Amino acid sequence: MAKEYLVNKDPKKAFMMSNEAMVRGALEADVKVISCYPGAPTSEILDTFFLLRNEFDYKFTTATNEKVALETVAGASMSGFRALTSMKSVGLNVASDAFFSLAYTGINAGCVMIVADDPHCHSSQSEEDGRFFGPNAYIPMLEPSNPKEARKMVKTAFEISERHKSIVVIRTTTRVNHQSGIVETEALNRTPFVKAKWSEVGENYFTVGETARQNKFKLLEKVKNIQIEFEDSPFNVISEGEGDIGILTSGVGYCYAKDACKILKINPKILKIGTPFPLPEKKIADFMKGLSKVVVIEELSPYLEHNAKRIAKDFELDVTILGKDAGHFSEAMEYNVPIVVMGISSALGIKSPIDYDGILKRANDLKTILPERMPCFCAGCPHRATFWAIKQAVRGRNVVFNNDIGCYSMAFFPPLNMTMSLLCMGSSLGLSAGMSQVLEDDVMCVVGDSTFFHAALPGLVNSVYHNLNITLFVLDNEVTAMTGQQFHAGTPEDRGMPEGKKRIIIEDVCRGIGVGHVAIMDSYDVKNNVDIIKEALDFKGPSVVISRRSCALHGDRIKRRTGVPIVQNEVDKSICKKPHTCIKDFYCPSFRFDSDDRAARILPEICDGCGVCAKICPFGTIHPIGEEAPGREVKQ
Amino acid sequence: MSQDSSFDLVICGVGGQGIVLLSNIIGRGCAKADLEARTGELHGLSQRSGTIYIHMRIGKDNLSPLIPYGEADALISLEAVEALRYLEYLKDDGVIILNKRVINPPIEVAQLSKEKRTDFIKFDEIKEKLNVITQNIAPLPALDLAKEAGNPLTENVVFIGALSALKSFPLDAEVLKESVAESVPKKALDVNLKAFDLGYKAAYDSLCQTVECVERKID
Ligand SMILES: Cc1ncc(C[n+]2csc(CCOP(=O)(O)OP(=O)(O)O)c2C)c(N)n1
Repeated sequence: MAKEYLVNKDPKKAFMMSNEAMVRGALEADVKVISCYPGAPTSEILDTFFLLRNEFDYKFTTATNEKVALETVAGASMSGFRALTSMKSVGLNVASDAFFSLAYTGINAGCVMIVADDPHCHSSQSEEDGRFFGPNAYIPMLEPSNPKEARKMVKTAFEISERHKSIVVIRTTTRVNHQSGIVETEALNRTPFVKAKWSEVGENYFTVGETARQNKFKLLEKVKNIQIEFEDSPFNVISEGEGDIGILTSGVGYCYAKDACKILKINPKILKIGTPFPLPEKKIADFMKGLSKVVVIEELSPYLEHNAKRIAKDFELDVTILGKDAGHFSEAMEYNVPIVVMGISSALGIKSPIDYDGILKRANDLKTILPERMPCFCAGCPHRATFWAIKQAVRGRNVVFNNDIGCYSMAFFPPLNMTMSLLCMGSSLGLSAGMSQVLEDDVMCVVGDSTFFHAALPGLVNSVYHNLNITLFVLDNEVTAMTGQQFHAGTPEDRGMPEGKKRIIIEDVCRGIGVGHVAIMDSYDVKNNVDIIKEALDFKGPSVVISRRSCALHGDRIKRRTGVPIVQNEVDKSICKKPHTCIKDFYCPSFRFDSDDRAARILPEICDGCGVCAKICPFGTIHPIGEEAPGREVKQ
Repeated sequence: MSQDSSFDLVICGVGGQGIVLLSNIIGRGCAKADLEARTGELHGLSQRSGTIYIHMRIGKDNLSPLIPYGEADALISLEAVEALRYLEYLKDDGVIILNKRVINPPIEVAQLSKEKRTDFIKFDEIKEKLNVITQNIAPLPALDLAKEAGNPLTENVVFIGALSALKSFPLDAEVLKESVAESVPKKALDVNLKAFDLGYKAAYDSLCQTVECVERKID
């Protein structure tokens, strides 16, 4: 067991990622029910609970989407069981309907949500600042800055949640989730899982009409109590310093601020906020009292900054608050130490001792020869094959292609450049509904199998109900590939899923709701797929093409487990006429060509043996190692 | 070895080369040696072939998960081109352990094909650029050594072996080998330890010619 540090009963120091540390914290808090939908940078939380599912007796499910995940854990909590969910920022958009109502109803046993923002859009469609969900929904939030704190906060969050009968959100950012470090764990004291009875719960959870109105008053009272508690929270920490300048910060901003002060050789007083909602207003006021300037260091929106300004006004403090409003820091992109050094320098009118721009310029001048390395489909990825066929099928047609969220989003990049729109999970169906009513073009949209179940179903039902002329491609690679190949409702049962789960067949769903034309194709069968696609485009009314093949990474894992060999392909140089079809239109990372004769070559350490390149090669020069090239026979 | 020995390391490469495992092995070693450590990791999405990096900061001096520009003591690059991409993090005269392997991105291959050119970016060109910042570059034929060890997938462990020869690196070979042993499947243990040793030995042919190394323990 490589992750023994998560399972060990006794306290120990171990190196782990914050995502793992939060799992450990939840296990130490005796969490009983977990339900998540994957999304970077939180996916390792789900993956870790999945990996450990046989070591503990908790109930774990990969939910169809974040809303279902949140409702699942809320239901468990109402029934008296500690429960946890995790999701990325945009996941909370999906779950927010339940989220707001759950504030009104309250919960019962500790119920914790880990919600990760992604400054810099490393793996998201937008830079959201999820902190505003706190005051908007009246739900308390904690924010760690490193793995040590992440473990501790999750564990404590269960207690806060239970004490106030409120969900508690752990708000993180990518640089916290994907930060590893040394964590001191505490003892694991797990109690056995035993089912309960609703009659023992003694509470109902609904919110409508007059009850909702009364709930609001109770909620305001609740938040006031939590705020009083947070005034003394050990997560809001002041480090003493010198002079009349202070720094107000939180999350990973605290780490950057500390290091930046060292570089700038200054030693200001620092208040690190660990409870972004409700804020410890008195503590912030006390901190600012006597200071002439406070520099606020936080990524994304000026949340702390505006609150600090309001608090300064309310408490009649004569302090200047410097941050984004005054232009010293940006609301866009993530920070690092140099950005914070320069921001503090600008705010305080001092000079940075290090010329970071100079260092960057020198490096950039050396990088002029550096080729781009854009994300691309893996060797053996079925999506590359599907898109190759779609590209052939739409030749000479006027088409609109609405993309969606998954590995296939990369159709946006060269060589495909095939995206007219891309918003959020499942959106391609809704957009197509609008476009198909007003455009003369063939309207196509694409979703993956996981996205199909997550958010595409209502859009598909809508297009059947209104008989819209839309062709939907469902790229069924058996897993939620982009986030790490998690299982979902359509994953075949023999993939080692926990027992008692049923696979839902996508074509059955489509036919069941009345899609008039449903075609199924093997993604690798590229030549024959062209006609299948044309036929679907010609069909009047909603049509669905399911392109099916295992994600290459997932497929390789199964092959290794079951002892099926992966036979790489090679190019028969003696007959290669060098049209570079396999290179120009295909972008498989296993391909290059030799400098001397320009013949294509396949790198065996990368090739996955899918053989799709062999099918598109016009001269039949590509063949599995150990076999003869098909083009050879033709020649003879 | 004390809590004061700090070391900033950038690890980079191409998705699928096992750099997360590499940093976990070092991190596990830090826990054993009672050293503080933290990382800033760009996992990318799960597809292979993209650029990825991990910043690793050993010692208790710094809190930021990302190393400021110009402060990394060493850069280990599992693919030659990628070293250039993250060069701004390395301090002047810092150490680079550089894989000899170049993985040409598909977009470069396609571009050259379209323009009927054959001038792929070459190892020596990259090294020349890196030399502007430092002479302390150790080229490592890591893929060959991994194959020699018995499995090309042990390429990442070759680098840990090489790193452990470096005197300024706060973890010694023994601790790192224990850490490797705890991190890889039992049946792959021997090939991984062999890869480690091959990397360690290779360091004495390149790295240790220019920078101070520990007294050679493995022959
Ligand atoms: C609301 C929301 N939740 C989660 C994500 C994270 N996410 C990005 S891609 C993706 C996977 C989609 O899987 P699938 O549609 O099967 O496509 P594949 O990657 O397998 O091709 C997910 C879950 C997101 N972007 N938005």
